[in-house]
Amino acid sequence: MPRIVRDADAAWEGNLARGTGTLSAATSGAFSELGFSVAARVGAPGGKSSPEELLAAAHAGCFTMSLANELTSADTPPGRLDVRCRITMDEVDGKGHLIVHSALDVTGRVTGADATAFDEAVEKANAGCPFSILLRKAGAGVDVTTRFEGGD
Amino acid sequence: MATDRTAKVTWQGSLMDGSGTIEGVGSGALGPLDVTWVSRADTPDGRTSPEELIAAAWASCYSMALSHALAGAGTPPERLETQVTVSFQPGEGIVKGAISVVGTVPGVDHDAFVSEAETAKENCPVSKALTGIPEVTLDATLATA
Repeated sequence: MPRIVRDADAAWEGNLARGTGTLSAATSGAFSELGFSVAARVGAPGGKSSPEELLAAAHAGCFTMSLANELTSADTPPGRLDVRCRITMDEVDGKGHLIVHSALDVTGRVTGADATAFDEAVEKANAGCPFSILLRKAGAGVDVTTRFEGGD
Repeated sequence: MATDRTAKVTWQGSLMDGSGTIEGVGSGALGPLDVTWVSRADTPDGRTSPEELIAAAWASCYSMALSHALAGAGTPPERLETQVTVSFQPGEGIVKGAISVVGTVPGVDHDAFVSEAETAKENCPVSKALTGIPEVTLDATLATA
């Protein structure tokens, strides 16, 4: 399969504390001109997205597809998966601000699977999800909690 | 103080034939946005993907880090335009990130701008979360005022 390339554009005006930016999904156009600022990033979001929130959306999306793939490989494609991701950024002594943690809450309805099989698929998905792999390589924790809701 | 941000995704069906939705994010700035494997791996057809969202996170984080670095050097930017490209190779993972920035920065020469741009590439929290990507490039250009 050929390499897949995706672009995003950001524009920023001014210094860090009082400046503001806008952000667009350049390849797909799925979102455009989203405002961002430091105040919204570290304080109350006030309706503005942030790098950490976009990483949460990316990780939730990436993990969900990995899990759908694992369940499909086990001949039990999911009826429905609900994945919530929480990304945490913190200041670490001597290292500045780091993404320290990603917490995934996964709920699944999967016909033909049981809770044990579901947990096994989740474990494989976390091991194989490209974004989980990158976060672990960077020293961030990736924790997954699961809830299996049966089938149909 | 730690900062938490959340997003929620739902998915129905197999990877190849199913589809998902980024239902929303904590701030309410995004969503619902549809995602599918085909739009991630082939033609986007208006749909975002994990790689595009990583590119967006990186571009916004990098812009803030470079603004901070330039202001710290006494030369805050008038305007920074950052494009980030994230490359994904199925079966291999995320294989490349390319940052391209054009800055309008009074009082800075080319070398000083490139130096701050390199520093921001190393120090931005998203860059530090993505150090496992085998190739990360930077192209920094100073716009002529």
